[in-house]
Amino acid sequence: MLNTILIPIDFRIESLNTLKYCLEERKQEKSSVILMYSAYSSDSITELLFYNPDKIIEALASSNFNDAIDIIKNKYESSLHSFKIELFHGLNRNAFINFYEAQGIDLVYLPRDYYLKPHKNGFDPIPLIKKSKVQYREVAWTRGHDTIDKDELNQLFK
Amino acid sequence: MSSIRKISILLIISISLILFFLGSSVYYFLSNYSYADFYKRLEARVSVAEKYHFESNQKDAQVLKNIRDEHLELLSNEREYILYCPNANSMKQLADTNSLPINFLTLVYTQQFANFQKDDIFYHGKKRETSKGFYFVVVSAKNYYNTHHLILLKKVLLAGGFISILIIIYFTYLFSNYFFEPINKIITKVNSISTDNIHLRLDENKKTVEINRLTTTFNNLLNRVEIAIETNKNFISNASHEFGTPLTAIIGEADVALLKDRTSVEYKETLQKILNQSERLNKISQSLLFLAQIGYKENKLNYAILRTDELIMQAYEIMNQLIPKNNIEIDFDLLPENPKKLKIHGNKELLILAITNILTNACKYSSNKQVVVSLASTNNQIVMIFKDQGIGIPESELPFIFDPFYRASNTAAYDGYGIGLPLTQNIIKIHKGELIISSELHKGVKIQVKLPVAEL
Repeated sequence: MLNTILIPIDFRIESLNTLKYCLEERKQEKSSVILMYSAYSSDSITELLFYNPDKIIEALASSNFNDAIDIIKNKYESSLHSFKIELFHGLNRNAFINFYEAQGIDLVYLPRDYYLKPHKNGFDPIPLIKKSKVQYREVAWTRGHDTIDKDELNQLFK
Repeated sequence: MSSIRKISILLIISISLILFFLGSSVYYFLSNYSYADFYKRLEARVSVAEKYHFESNQKDAQVLKNIRDEHLELLSNEREYILYCPNANSMKQLADTNSLPINFLTLVYTQQFANFQKDDIFYHGKKRETSKGFYFVVVSAKNYYNTHHLILLKKVLLAGGFISILIIIYFTYLFSNYFFEPINKIITKVNSISTDNIHLRLDENKKTVEINRLTTTFNNLLNRVEIAIETNKNFISNASHEFGTPLTAIIGEADVALLKDRTSVEYKETLQKILNQSERLNKISQSLLFLAQIGYKENKLNYAILRTDELIMQAYEIMNQLIPKNNIEIDFDLLPENPKKLKIHGNKELLILAITNILTNACKYSSNKQVVVSLASTNNQIVMIFKDQGIGIPESELPFIFDPFYRASNTAAYDGYGIGLPLTQNIIKIHKGELIISSELHKGVKIQVKLPVAEL
């Protein structure tokens, strides 16, 4: 059975651990994955006029981040049916439920111990998701407490 | 030819050509116009004369005469002919008596009216037929305008053109000097920089963007050269230190042994120590040779398609023999499903050497604490990550760790001579890979090795 899974991210490699553990858990079945980044939408009319989500995503994703996504995609090639990154601009529960239904999401995976550290204009959607009474699962991983890794591929590994 | 001269010649030629075309077109069109205009004036006189002689009564004739005198200025050498010609055969005689060109009269005869020029005299004639035969009405005059004004114009254009070319030559010389002066300055400055004063830099010229870019490029190059020279100096001092330590030990041992007579056991001991130090020296020189060879042997290496996971396993087995107490953990959790993405094009021995070098360092400087080796692959790169929990490298020393014989300041307690890491980096480099090192003092070192996936 094909399930669509939503995972909130902050475009930092460590947040992709949720994706890694989620796919590890669901190895036996096929899943479509939507990574969701939450950001306040711009209030400038010119920016809205030339609004292009692909450009925003491209600007946010570092080359290391893309490498990390490639690594995970390669690892779970057979169980990953489709994969995309979406922007979420809503501010309240209804907006999130709208997004949830429009994307046909079946399940949300959230990090348990990791707090999203969004970039400028972004926000952490996890409280909103938890309030929205949608079905979610939390995954946890042991976090390295060292501060060496600012945003390195290492964070995906043990 | 220098570019100053090239640019000036090109400029002068192109501007002279433009001037030439401008001047000649002015001259050509003006002279054309002056001819047409002069014939028109003759024509007007002919038609007045015709009216005066053939169509007017006494009163009109007076008016026409007045108009002609008042409004039609007298042209130089203006002459008016009203010639009666009974038939075509008498034209020749008519022409001779009035000293008119016969060709002109024939032309008028056949075409009713005609323009003609002989030397600097212009003619306009018209044939008028009457019942008694026909008349030629002819006006001739010298074209004063043509003879004088056009010659003046020609002179002005030639002189003006010549003077403007001189001015252009002067300005191109001035401008090219102005623009090339900074380049000359750069050349003198760069020439004055040698290995002794490599710290000198070019002054940046903010006025011209291109020159500024050139100077910054030069300055960046100088920065790199300075670093390279610095590295070289470091290498020599480090190398002499590395060679010096065992030599001092050998000399010291020998000196002490020779102070007085010793027992054979003591001699044996001394010789053993000397042997150990010599072996160490031998090892250093051999590894140095190997390091140097990798650089130029690149083309002779045997390349094959290899699987990185196998390489890591083989290196792991070697490590088990070298350091049996090691605590290496291999993490293949993120291995790609498609084994093709683990394959690289490379030399097996060298790559295993590189991996064992990294692992030996990791085990050595962490006193056999846990070392994790992870392997993963993106679509075009294989990523190997080595994490240890050792003493780390001070951040300020990170830029130098790839210099041969360089040893970080906190490694005094550990045996080694600073060849392993540069060797590893050279091996990764000739495989077109990347070695990224990050570290925090006392916490450990993380090494990322990225190698390109083989294209099958």
